[in-house]
Amino acid sequence: MSATGTCEFQPKDYKSDLKPIWCPGCGDFSVVQGIYRALAAVGRPPHEIAFVSGIGCSSRIPGYTTAYGFNSVHGRALPIAQGIKLANPDLLVLAAGGDGDGFSIGGGHIAHLIRRNMDITYIVMDNQIYGLTKGQLSPTSQKGRITCTSRYGSMEEPVNPLLYVLAYGAGFVAQASPTDLAGMAATIEEAIRYPGFAFVNVQSPCVTYGEEAQQIKGLKAISESLTAMGHNPADRLAAMDLAQQYGEKMHLGVFYRNPEPPPTYGDLVKERQTMLSKDALPKERILDLFIKK
Amino acid sequence: MAIQGIDFANLSLKDALDLAILVEDEAQERYEEFATQMDQHRTPDAAKFFRYMVENEAKHGRELLARRIQRFGDAPRSVTRAMIFDIEAPDYDAARAFMSPRKAMKAALASEVKAYDFFVAALPALKDTEVRALFEELRDEELEHQKLVNVELAKLPPDSGLSDEDFVDEPAAQ
Repeated sequence: MSATGTCEFQPKDYKSDLKPIWCPGCGDFSVVQGIYRALAAVGRPPHEIAFVSGIGCSSRIPGYTTAYGFNSVHGRALPIAQGIKLANPDLLVLAAGGDGDGFSIGGGHIAHLIRRNMDITYIVMDNQIYGLTKGQLSPTSQKGRITCTSRYGSMEEPVNPLLYVLAYGAGFVAQASPTDLAGMAATIEEAIRYPGFAFVNVQSPCVTYGEEAQQIKGLKAISESLTAMGHNPADRLAAMDLAQQYGEKMHLGVFYRNPEPPPTYGDLVKERQTMLSKDALPKERILDLFIKK
Repeated sequence: MAIQGIDFANLSLKDALDLAILVEDEAQERYEEFATQMDQHRTPDAAKFFRYMVENEAKHGRELLARRIQRFGDAPRSVTRAMIFDIEAPDYDAARAFMSPRKAMKAALASEVKAYDFFVAALPALKDTEVRALFEELRDEELEHQKLVNVELAKLPPDSGLSDEDFVDEPAAQ
């Protein structure tokens, strides 16, 4: 409790008793620390937070966080998170998962949360591989990548997650990495504070099935801070231009933040409810609508 | 390593001591995490070494805390863990499944070097003479810690030349 009487949370307040079972060296260890720090900075108590994930190594993350958690089914983190937010708009809702969960199996859901502008923060731990199932091609694997399901190299172009969400009109798009822990925490905090759908792509290395160039050292070599570059996060076209370098450069920070965030779906629902409530029948008379007089 | 919101030029001795305690806390927790990871991945020798480091960091933290209490009692702390990142704690990326004790010790050595570099880098910005003296002392202690790890490294049999990767199964074709 602070001198002003408000509760102050520390990162450890969001750490659960479960011990992560990720491979030692996994980038997700840093990501979960970044999330604890971001949540502490935002200051919402754990009981006001819901954390939803799909399936995969990174989708274990709600279990390692003290909050309401739902480790759901593959690719379905976003619809479940949306349902939670609509049922209880006061909750701070986070969704997380891997690139396969978000951009392959669950790829169809992202567009709809973006167009509805659901007030949800979506953190994708992008490691360019299906790690939990032992190293198959994922939607963000680079063309030519050799894995157990592409012995002669991938023939497919990778999905560009940043361009994908920018093209659909996401109001907040950022990228982070364990190469810059403080920056990652600050970026996730900013995403949580954004009023609307916020997307953070975290380049989180897979130490077991990831390639050398995708490990911390390799990522550091291609990383560049968007702030240091002088990028204006209000410029959506400039953001899209930079996002095209996904896979070659790792730009860290906020690509795009809508300077005038539109109303969220929750706001619109509330507005509609208020508008209709004037003429709404009391519950006991609902059936009257269906009775011919 | 990263520092957020610390004004070194105006750092008081109380805050400097609290910061040093938090640095030790962070390192202790990270070594505990590493030891747990090694237990989970059946790497007992590395786990044992990381627990040895937990004790060292805890001991140093207790010494600093005693000094803090002696000098400032229970005056409220104004620096927080959110202000520091990976000062003396080994990087998460330094751990590996099946890592040898040698690799574990080298990870610890790298983090002691990192902590030494942090105190050296902070020194020019410090204005308070007592804070400067404390940071110089902490810097020198990091050198002592490096010696401690080097002593442990010297006790090991010669390196086999095998990599950790030699003991890991390749992904199987499906």
